[in-house]
Amino acid sequence: MTVVPQGGGQPPAPGGSSGNLYDVLELILDRGLVIDAFVRVSLVGIEILKIDARVVVASVDTYLRFAEACNRLDLEADGKQPAKLPDMVGEVTEGGAEGKSKGAISGAVEAVADSVQGRRGGDEEREEESERSHRKGTSRRTSSRRREE
Amino acid sequence: MTVYVYAITDAGHPLRLDDLVGVGDPPSTLRTVAGGGLAAVVSDAPEGLRPKRRDLAAHQGVQERLMSDGAVLPLQFGLTAEDDDAVVRVLEEQAPAYRRRLEALEGAAEYHLKSAWDEDALLREILRESPQARSLNEEIRGGNPDPQLPMALGESIAQEVQARQEALAARVVERLRAHAREERSSAPTGEDFLNVSFLVDSGEREQFVTELRQLADELGQDVELRLRGPLPAYSFV
Repeated sequence: MTVVPQGGGQPPAPGGSSGNLYDVLELILDRGLVIDAFVRVSLVGIEILKIDARVVVASVDTYLRFAEACNRLDLEADGKQPAKLPDMVGEVTEGGAEGKSKGAISGAVEAVADSVQGRRGGDEEREEESERSHRKGTSRRTSSRRREE
Repeated sequence: MTVYVYAITDAGHPLRLDDLVGVGDPPSTLRTVAGGGLAAVVSDAPEGLRPKRRDLAAHQGVQERLMSDGAVLPLQFGLTAEDDDAVVRVLEEQAPAYRRRLEALEGAAEYHLKSAWDEDALLREILRESPQARSLNEEIRGGNPDPQLPMALGESIAQEVQARQEALAARVVERLRAHAREERSSAPTGEDFLNVSFLVDSGEREQFVTELRQLADELGQDVELRLRGPLPAYSFV
């Protein structure tokens, strides 16, 4: 399990909390109080959050993917695979621990995080390009995944 | 002058913002606007604001600072008002509702939990426990070329996957619910089967996390639980 306490009662670390942003982007961009009388600035990139909504399970593609996955599965393998990364458990009472989640973060949030990072240079053209390639990347990833399995 | 609005608090909040900056490049200066017994943290709105990392960090930094001193209603990133007066009008008009919400959030913080189940491990479990899936899989592996078989196997597996994920999601939420004031589930994305936020009282934090750790031990390494918190209560405003 990954437990990552942050904020809450502790003064933010020097340099701000940007190191923790990655996992909470979805909350910052998609939740929070919305006031009807206010205008939301046009935020290119936010739509990405919606793209990777979980594939509906009942589809032919999913069936075939599962069947192929079963076919290549090593049924003799021990069910308990070694963890890809060591578990990181922070002391919540001290509020200072940090941990990095494994790669299972949703592709959508990942895409936003990457494009946010990619914008640090501030180059407008490169930003657009990075957004487009992330969009394509998402669908490519899905289809190549099907082919592999 | 268009203003960017970060958060709403009670007017009595200390609002220690001196060493923080707002969104934009160069960073804008934070200030507060009062109305209806409430305060709003605002700054001048930069031209062409986009969700750049430093802007998201500035928005989040304000929420984290404010929540360390009291209840806060974090606004969604990117909201702007026409001018300070427009903010004051909203504070005055919505004061009763915002006040109720601030009271509900007092002394609590959001914990955001996502969970993924290792797919191979889940498939192994299904093939172990479902006679139908197992026999279909054995037929295919034995060389039966009938194209209907993979479809039937996949459909059977898909149903099992969904049922097991839903059952585990319900079990996780059920266990944690006792330590939370409120909860809010949303559609999981990517490989996750669970995406839920809890509003947890500061007095319950330790029990909440302990409960989750126990659950994580019970579930083993095939199920990954990723908890973030305490966070500003974005999901409970």
